[in-house]
Amino acid sequence: MAESNEITLTIDGHEVSVRKGTTLLQAAQEIGTSVPHYCYHPGMSSPAMCRLCLVEVEGAPKPMPSCVTQAQDGQVVHTESELALDMRRGVLEFYLVNHPLDCPICDQSGECKLQDYVHEEGREHGRSREPKRVFGRDDFGGDVLFYGDRCVMCTRCVRFMNEVEQDSRLTVVERGNRSIIDTFFEEGLEGTYWHGNIVDICPVGALVSKDFLHKARAWDLDHTDSVCPSCSQGCNVSLHTRDNLVQRIKPRENLAVNGWWMCDYGRMNYEWINAGHRLEAPLVRADGDTRAMGWKEALKALLERAPTAAAHGVKAVASPHASNEDLAAFQALVRDLGGEDVLYRLRVVENERPLKGFPNLARRRELAPNADGAELLGMTRVGDDDASGGLDEVADHDGLILVLGDDLDDQGEEFGRNAACYIHLGAHGGTAPANAHFLLPVTTFAEQEGTFTNRDGRVQRFWPSMETAGAARPPWFVLGVLLAERTGAPAARSAAESFAQLSSRVDAFAGLTYEGLGARGAVVNETVSLTGGG
Amino acid sequence: MSDAPFKNPGWAGNTGEFDLSEAEVRGDDFVGDRERAGAHPSTSATYPYMLAEKNPDVPLFEGEYHERFEKILTQYPTKQAALLPALGLAQEIRGYVSPESMDRVAELLELAPAYVRGVATFYTMYNKRPVGRHLVQVCTNISCNLCGADEVLAAFLRYTDTEMGETSDDGEFTVIEAECLAACGFPTCVQINSRYFENVTPADVPKIVERLKAESGEASGS
Repeated sequence: MAESNEITLTIDGHEVSVRKGTTLLQAAQEIGTSVPHYCYHPGMSSPAMCRLCLVEVEGAPKPMPSCVTQAQDGQVVHTESELALDMRRGVLEFYLVNHPLDCPICDQSGECKLQDYVHEEGREHGRSREPKRVFGRDDFGGDVLFYGDRCVMCTRCVRFMNEVEQDSRLTVVERGNRSIIDTFFEEGLEGTYWHGNIVDICPVGALVSKDFLHKARAWDLDHTDSVCPSCSQGCNVSLHTRDNLVQRIKPRENLAVNGWWMCDYGRMNYEWINAGHRLEAPLVRADGDTRAMGWKEALKALLERAPTAAAHGVKAVASPHASNEDLAAFQALVRDLGGEDVLYRLRVVENERPLKGFPNLARRRELAPNADGAELLGMTRVGDDDASGGLDEVADHDGLILVLGDDLDDQGEEFGRNAACYIHLGAHGGTAPANAHFLLPVTTFAEQEGTFTNRDGRVQRFWPSMETAGAARPPWFVLGVLLAERTGAPAARSAAESFAQLSSRVDAFAGLTYEGLGARGAVVNETVSLTGGG
Repeated sequence: MSDAPFKNPGWAGNTGEFDLSEAEVRGDDFVGDRERAGAHPSTSATYPYMLAEKNPDVPLFEGEYHERFEKILTQYPTKQAALLPALGLAQEIRGYVSPESMDRVAELLELAPAYVRGVATFYTMYNKRPVGRHLVQVCTNISCNLCGADEVLAAFLRYTDTEMGETSDDGEFTVIEAECLAACGFPTCVQINSRYFENVTPADVPKIVERLKAESGEASGS
């Protein structure tokens, strides 16, 4: 008999073929059926202890936990039969015996699995008349607050700390209805680097983020796919916004990069996106006077002034926080003006913070999302590991200075004083940028579309999640218009067009299309890097 | 005093015989000073090793106790597997399993302290707080409850002058409820330290308490 790795079974009347070893729960997902579950998480082991994913299997004496039962050839499974529904109704009733039902003040409300399941399949009314046992709250340290009464004891958090972070800080204390999640007395989660994930994987409101506590209701938040800008790992994230402010950052599943996880550093590093002090209109300085102008006027003046200044040489500084399109458009303009090298500065910290239980995932040493993009474009890194210095020649340059994104915090009042023309594209002003002849407001990554290249050469898209501040425009757009005015070639009207220009011009990005990147990204020159030549 | 039919370790006497001595209940071979180093390794992890005097401040797993701990380790394939007897040894020495004891056990067995706490709190026979010289556990599960365990419990609380779970001022008694002690044929069952008292009625309680007090007096007087 031929060995086959494929088996076929029937779930709710649909035939589905899966690989041997697939669990019933995963097989059901193949046909779009989500079996209710708490303890099962694809990134961790399954203890089959929540008893919610029980399904009816024909021929089996008892209901089977679908998260650990492997699919068999010819099996007939019912997830919505009378028995299965009855069972879930019963299990859910038990879950509510001691649940405080404090949804109106619970942060998880609206994205709570207990709420969802009870609403869908639970009993209309509970029958328990006994007083509920009460635990109250416990501060776990770090960003985590624990509401013991809401807990359903799925132990996802315990298993995350054991298996994924591999720092067993959490455990189940006591037993029976007194059991509760806790750390070793006052030890807490302080000092762990990925504990924000236990808030994400908690299916109910037992573990909540202190940072997000009572900040927004889940249904008021807009979710936008994005890429974490905090380091070169490029974790896929979702920006949750309300009132044009980022309220929190959550990881987004991408098995090739970050799985389901993200580090606490990236998670908490979002306040700068909401910073109010933004450049909102082009500022043009001429004859000792700074004036706000419309874009058209400002760019016209810029195009008149820049070429003459460029005759004395062009110095250019970019930021590894800018997108691939921004950097490429910047480089193209610099080259058109007669410049060559583009410098960038990068903050590099001492230690990596790996997540032990997931391959190739860490808070990387390079604290910028697109250092790889800058390298692939042939830009030159200068300065120290704290992203300072290295710009002495630029500061005193008497020709044309172009700066993109770098706020030049370490540079003094003298920066660019001698320049015949100093053009600065930034989201925020500052001491050195105040010297610019043309201070042009551009968007942050959260306000524009674009791509970052992570440390493994994976080009990943992000989407705009906020309204732009004032008249700020994406850098690729401003720079593209300037270049088009000079060369007569058409300017990119969208990030996609800008990326197409980039991939046709830069070999490293050849063959990549914006649509092809999708939501998961694609690796540059994959064949080259795989053979070690890249 | 009755004629014990044979030296049956653990035989608790006939109904109402609450004045039996430890030797009569346990058999001569099972009474007396134990080797603190644990004699043969195969028995090093097991009861009876109850000490009359607990010392909450004694260093754990040092000297003879270290020897005993090492013997316990030889009986298990992994260090983690030795967790329960290691906690038991800590309780035997100190009378209860304190957070510091858990931390020390975790360190010795190369486990996470939180995990050790999880295990220690799961089992009711580890005392997580100091208890009196006599830990009185009154079964209030079904059989005993039907036969008046609640009254027996109330009597113990009254005659020892304690609140449930608290230790009496003289450090003699801690009275707690226990779930089934597996003596459903002889309700109400009361376990005092490692010894069972069966068929206890509220009327028996003063006698038992007096005897326990007298025992303590002898121990401290000698």
